[in-house]
Amino acid sequence: MGSNMAENHPVAFRWVAQAKLNGTTLIHVDPRFTRTSAMADLYVPMRSGTDIAFLGGLIRYVIEHEKYFKDYVVNYTNAATIINDKFQDTEDLEGVFSGLKEAPQGSDQKYIYDNATWQYKRVQPWDAAKAREEAKKAATFAEMIQKMVPPAAEKDPTLQHPRSVFQLVRRHFSRYTPELVERITGCPQDVFLKVAETVTANSGPERTTTFVYAMGWTQHTYGVQTIGTTALLQLLLGNMGRPGGGILALRGHATIQGSTDVPTLYHSIQGYMAHPDARKAHDTLTDYILTETRPTGYWANLPKFMVSYLKSMYGDAATPENDFGYDWHPKIAGDYSHMPTMIAMAKGEVKGALIFGQNPATSINAALQRRALMQLDWLVVKDNFETETASFWYASPEVKSGQLKPEDIKTEVFLFPSAQVGEVEGTFTNTQRLIQFHEKAADPPGDCRSDAWFTHQLALRLKKLYADSTLPRDEGIKNLLWDFDYEPGTYPTDTRIQGEPDVLKIIREINGYQTGSKELLKSFGELKDDGSTTCASWIYCGIYPEKGKLLARSREPDPDNKPGTNLHWGYAWPANRRILYNRASADPDGNPWSERKKFIWWDAAQKKWVGYDVPDFAATKAPDTPAKPGATGLDAHDGKSPFIMMADGKGWLFVPVGLADGPLPTHYEPMESPVVNLLYPKQQHNPIAKYWQHEENQLAVVADPNFPIVLTTYRLTEHHLAGAMTRWLPWLAELQPELFIEMSPELAQEKGIKNLDLVRITTKRRSIVAKALVTPRLRPLMIDGKVVHQVGMPWHWGYMGIVTGDIVNDLTAMVGDPNVSIHESKALCCNVERLQ
Amino acid sequence: MAEPMGFFTDTSVCIGCKACEVACKAWNQLPARNGGKVPLTGQSYDNTVELSGIQWRHVKFIEQFSPDRSSGRWLMMSDVCKHCVQAGCLEVCPTGAIIRTEFDTVVIQSDVCNGCRACIAACPFGVIDINPETNTAMKCTLCYDRMQAGMVPACAQACPTHSIQFGPISELRQHAEARLAQLQAQGVSQARLYGHDESILGGLNSFYLLLDEPEVYGLPSNPQLPSRNVAPSAGLSAAGAVALGVLGLVGLRKQRMDKLAAEAREQQEGDGSHAG
Amino acid sequence: MPDSFFTASPEWRWWIVFYFFVGGIAGGAFAIAALLRLFGREVDRPLSRLGYYIAFPGSIISGILLIADLKRPERFWHMLIQSETFAPAFKWWSPISVGSWGLLLFGLFSFLAFVGGLAEVGILPRGLQALVQGGLGAVVNVLGGISGFFLAGYTGVLLSTTNRPLWSDTVWLGLLFLLSGFSTGAALLILLSWRQNLPALAWLKELDTWVLGLELVVLIVLLATVGMAVLRPVLFNAWGVLLVLGVVLVGILVPGLLHYRPLLGRLTVPGAALLVLVGGFVLRVVMLLSSEAA
Ligand SMILES: Nc1nc2c(c(=O)[nH]1)N[C@H]1C(S)=C(S)[C@@H](COP(=O)(O)OP(=O)(O)OC[C@H]3O[C@@H](n4cnc5c(=O)[nH]c(N)nc54)[C@H](O)[C@@H]3O)O[C@H]1N2
Ligand SMILES: Nc1nc2c(c(=O)[nH]1)N[C@H]1C(S)=C(S)[C@@H](COP(=O)(O)OP(=O)(O)OC[C@H]3O[C@@H](n4cnc5c(=O)[nH]c(N)nc54)[C@H](O)[C@@H]3O)O[C@H]1N2
Ligand code: SF4
Ligand code: SF4
Ligand code: SF4
Ligand code: SF4
Ligand code: SF4
Ligand SMILES: [Mo]
Repeated sequence: MGSNMAENHPVAFRWVAQAKLNGTTLIHVDPRFTRTSAMADLYVPMRSGTDIAFLGGLIRYVIEHEKYFKDYVVNYTNAATIINDKFQDTEDLEGVFSGLKEAPQGSDQKYIYDNATWQYKRVQPWDAAKAREEAKKAATFAEMIQKMVPPAAEKDPTLQHPRSVFQLVRRHFSRYTPELVERITGCPQDVFLKVAETVTANSGPERTTTFVYAMGWTQHTYGVQTIGTTALLQLLLGNMGRPGGGILALRGHATIQGSTDVPTLYHSIQGYMAHPDARKAHDTLTDYILTETRPTGYWANLPKFMVSYLKSMYGDAATPENDFGYDWHPKIAGDYSHMPTMIAMAKGEVKGALIFGQNPATSINAALQRRALMQLDWLVVKDNFETETASFWYASPEVKSGQLKPEDIKTEVFLFPSAQVGEVEGTFTNTQRLIQFHEKAADPPGDCRSDAWFTHQLALRLKKLYADSTLPRDEGIKNLLWDFDYEPGTYPTDTRIQGEPDVLKIIREINGYQTGSKELLKSFGELKDDGSTTCASWIYCGIYPEKGKLLARSREPDPDNKPGTNLHWGYAWPANRRILYNRASADPDGNPWSERKKFIWWDAAQKKWVGYDVPDFAATKAPDTPAKPGATGLDAHDGKSPFIMMADGKGWLFVPVGLADGPLPTHYEPMESPVVNLLYPKQQHNPIAKYWQHEENQLAVVADPNFPIVLTTYRLTEHHLAGAMTRWLPWLAELQPELFIEMSPELAQEKGIKNLDLVRITTKRRSIVAKALVTPRLRPLMIDGKVVHQVGMPWHWGYMGIVTGDIVNDLTAMVGDPNVSIHESKALCCNVERLQ
Repeated sequence: MAEPMGFFTDTSVCIGCKACEVACKAWNQLPARNGGKVPLTGQSYDNTVELSGIQWRHVKFIEQFSPDRSSGRWLMMSDVCKHCVQAGCLEVCPTGAIIRTEFDTVVIQSDVCNGCRACIAACPFGVIDINPETNTAMKCTLCYDRMQAGMVPACAQACPTHSIQFGPISELRQHAEARLAQLQAQGVSQARLYGHDESILGGLNSFYLLLDEPEVYGLPSNPQLPSRNVAPSAGLSAAGAVALGVLGLVGLRKQRMDKLAAEAREQQEGDGSHAG
Repeated sequence: MPDSFFTASPEWRWWIVFYFFVGGIAGGAFAIAALLRLFGREVDRPLSRLGYYIAFPGSIISGILLIADLKRPERFWHMLIQSETFAPAFKWWSPISVGSWGLLLFGLFSFLAFVGGLAEVGILPRGLQALVQGGLGAVVNVLGGISGFFLAGYTGVLLSTTNRPLWSDTVWLGLLFLLSGFSTGAALLILLSWRQNLPALAWLKELDTWVLGLELVVLIVLLATVGMAVLRPVLFNAWGVLLVLGVVLVGILVPGLLHYRPLLGRLTVPGAALLVLVGGFVLRVVMLLSSEAA
């Protein structure tokens, strides 16, 4: 659901094909009938952007038909927890939760949430602010955390308490009936019910169901909420932490998973810790730790992760006295994600940019992004091809049409040719968190250099440049530890390329070592908060436990695929675990839920957890271990709490902290929609969605008669993203040579369009031209008694390459999800006409 | 002769990714049509259209939907030379360019072919075509070069879903029977094998599992050898030639008789006058 | 759908149309010449010589057309000799292979006859007359005649020995082409000789009428055996119209009629012959190219 796995993850789909051969039932929920639908046992049509209504319908079905996995829900989720009396649901406030408040001036959002009223009801009253003041006086980080431990939460294991999470969830979703699902999503009730029956029949002790998603879910202004809805459903069904269960995010770009683990993200430093932020209480290291550490659960170790990270950044210069260099570390002061940066660029607030492996001239509201690039003084593009971004100044539609002249564009563009993946060594982290090392096959041609080479050389030059600075603000770069040169005499001799950094040294820094002895760390359990360990990303700690033994290099499959976890093939973070929270694959007493789904269990004789995977639990903590009241870390959990990263060790149906969105997911309409929100007519879309004001970034009004058709954008197997990597290659270019728009025969007839006719597609932003591909794979939907048409466009074309075409992203708008700032390119409103 | 080798293509798990097409072109260094600049065909997701001298694999896309979409299927199938045990192309080739290899596959030797194109017309599946670069007939070689080196053909190697399975024919036939039984047990009654036994051209060394009639996939249900027509056709012609000869002779004889008769009459008339 | 519709076109187009036409005439003309030589009278010799004069150039043109149609013409000899072992390349079950040898033999005998013919009229040394006279002449005429019949007819068999629409859906094409080759050969002979008012002309005209009649019958039988599923896409279109008008009407019925009624006065005989030639050509065009319509 929300992914077109067969087309976009064909190699991973091999396992789905194999599962099919083993009799698995495959369901595909998608606005279009795709190559994945073709493989499915059941194809489920729906309107783009209505997944929460659909999934919410499943949640209601599961609760009302009592199909939830009772033992699992009571023991492993926060269903029994009682929530604060002041919490008010969307059902009470016509579409918003309590705590909604106006966002500060100049923000990308109109409103934001204050989560104070969503908290667990504690057995004793608790004043967090006071606790924090107390904690600040502590001598050690451990003591500090200790003082932050809140009293236990109130619970009702019968799940009957009206303020229990379970009852709140039930009430929240009570209106998501099959009938309402049909009216909102356009999916016929009988098809929806077939899904509900199949999913529930395939959940429980004996069977599991998994949900697989990608951009169909995320590229919305409530993408995180959609995934949250599924988490809630999967927890109710007992499908988390068990083989064949879970929610599988299909990550996009090659090693995009790696780039969020050891991140290129602006708001995260490493291992999913928040980036120091000037807007938060992050003034000192102590403040940061107090704000970010959850005193109970595994995150109580955050001080160790943070201090070891700072040691990896600043080496010997980082000492307890200078807060391990915390002050040198940059802090963010706003949303520095892609879209707001481009808006700032368009306003002339950005002087220069380095663009590596990205092609913004073709991405969301592309014409606006090209306009932004034109405001730069300088632009470095490092790519394998001359992309639209590198060539906008002479080849973009604006220039070709004569609207702009190259000589009027002041941007100086530098194109650095890049090496390809086969021309460098390094690691890939795949969707399964599996890290695999790859060797270099050949030297890159000519002046092409790897990104590591470029970054390394840039860093060395910058450090040289700042070496003599006495400005306090330059302390950071001066003290930055940059120790990636090969040891003298060890540089590879079989290459013409000089100046590459030593990849193993980079991995060593990520893995971590004892600061004094430089001995490599074997696991993140060894990390310390006193500066004696160094580690650039705690979740990768253990991948390189000793010299000459890089686990990402291991390539030993299980014999005959038994048990099939293949623990000696690559290395999966954390600690080589293949399934997270796998303690949940055993019942509260530590026995497998069923023989069929046996995975990790408690071996009473050995007094430890054993099984097919690395247990994701304290290795020797027995199931009957009680929680230690007032303790920090995992000691605060009993032996029956599998979700060790969570403060209470439970899977959260109700999410009191951590999200910008409300504590429960709610159906909203996309920012552009042909219909009003049937569920909450007074709250059309996500109240806290991000929107970037710009004259070229306007939105259609609700049910705008000028833009009555739903447009969704997506990928094809034959091309990759903006197309630079495929439209230059004849063998791929010929497979899908031209931009097209898929539409149903019904819409085509209504609009007088024939197959292959040229069609003009218009949104509130702009219009482009494409060829019509009329196909019954698209169909009109009945939405609340009204026919709504959907059209779809792959967005791989641009003005460079062997085959070219209009840029679909000239149509899209810069609106974003409040949590992760992803754009909403999966549901917008348009009109189509035959080009005369 | 080594063991007969070939393909079993299970179309029920083909995702139409075309990796096989591209792998084939990459391995055999076949060019894209018009350097990749081709028009959109508007026929589903198929833009390579057919097997040809530069397209030795081709993935077909068949959209089958009822008007109200209550039922709908999108069938995909990767088409290739069938490496027929009784191969029409091999049968007619006058130059001996087409050979049967030790793996019981059918290979065209490009350096022998003179481009007469008899094989093109002879293949019941429309597999062969002239490669515009070499001007000789070309088609899938079942990666003869890779096989000789003990490697799996490029297309099968690239196929992510195991739709294309490569191996000894005897093993493939067993897999195919098992898969068919499984599908039929799951209620896919339309599933069938095509070319797995001798009934089609003595067996196809590249055979298929289909989910509908062969015709739906553009395959003949009863392909035959071109030589079936040789004897009757040649016989009729020979009979015709004899008939023509006889006709001519009869005519000539009649002419001669007429002539003789005329001469005789002339003579009689002459005699008479003479007598009279 | 008929099984022949899943095949690819060999794209045998105009070179081959002309080859089939010329080859048919050459073969037919030689066959007639041989018949006359072997069973006719001395007065018929000029007409049979004319047959030789048509046949040999026809065989040369045929060879050239055939080679020109190859995608690798420089490898034409691979048809006859295996390029690797230099052993003869011959497959009796492949009409294209047999046909190449047939054309070669026909070329040889028609050459000998051509030389003999030229010797008869004194252009070449008289001694060479033996090639078309006496025992040796009989051998040349018999073998040349057989290969002439072969050349006229094998092209149809060749088409049938494929899996293409129409061609492979019938076994009557060989016979049809044979008859057509014979009738066009006769027609060309008539056309080139009618002024001389040779004695065999009447025989030739009558023979041609018979052959045209047979041709019509065979054509009808052919179409009847092919079946609607093939005919509809292949011939229920402009090609079918051309077949009826160009072949049946112009090429068979009108000339047939002209043989009985001298409607064109002095030009009736050559007119009829010309129409037969046109019909024979159109027949090749339609039979070759309509298959592509499928
Ligand atoms: N061949 C190929 N593979 C790729 C890529 C590529 O460009 N080409 N890109 C890579 C990258 S970066 C990524 S992020 C992934 C993306 O992988 P996917 O997310 O699978 O790709 P998309 O095609 O963007 O969208 C998936 C499907 O979502 C459907 N959809 C649209 N709106 C909705 C909706 O509201 N709800 C639901 N349920 N479905 C909806 C679309 O019809 C489409 O079929 O693919 C990766 N893999
Ligand atoms: N309308 C619409 N827009 C979308 C989406 C959508 O579904 N709909 N999807 C969005 C998603 S999920 C994504 S991920 C983005 C992707 O959008 P972009 O990242 O902007 O597009 P790509 O084409 O992937 O650009 C990657 C570039 O990296 C280059 N490259 C490849 N390897 C290397 C290397 O080793 N080093 C360097 N330096 N360069 C290299 C390639 O040649 C290519 O030009 O697009 C987003 N935009
Ligand atoms: S392109 Fe690469 S990452 Fe994507 S499916 Fe193919 S092999 Fe996997
Ligand atoms: S499928 Fe065609 S080309 Fe392939 S072996 Fe059979 S007859 Fe020859
Ligand atoms: S085209 Fe080449 S391979 Fe085909 S029949 Fe003629 S000589 Fe043989
Ligand atoms: S076997 Fe080789 S030649 Fe044949 S289709 Fe596959 S890759 Fe191409
Ligand atoms: S590679 Fe396999 S799955 Fe992909 S199109 Fe070819 S046969 Fe189908
Ligand atoms: Mo992506």
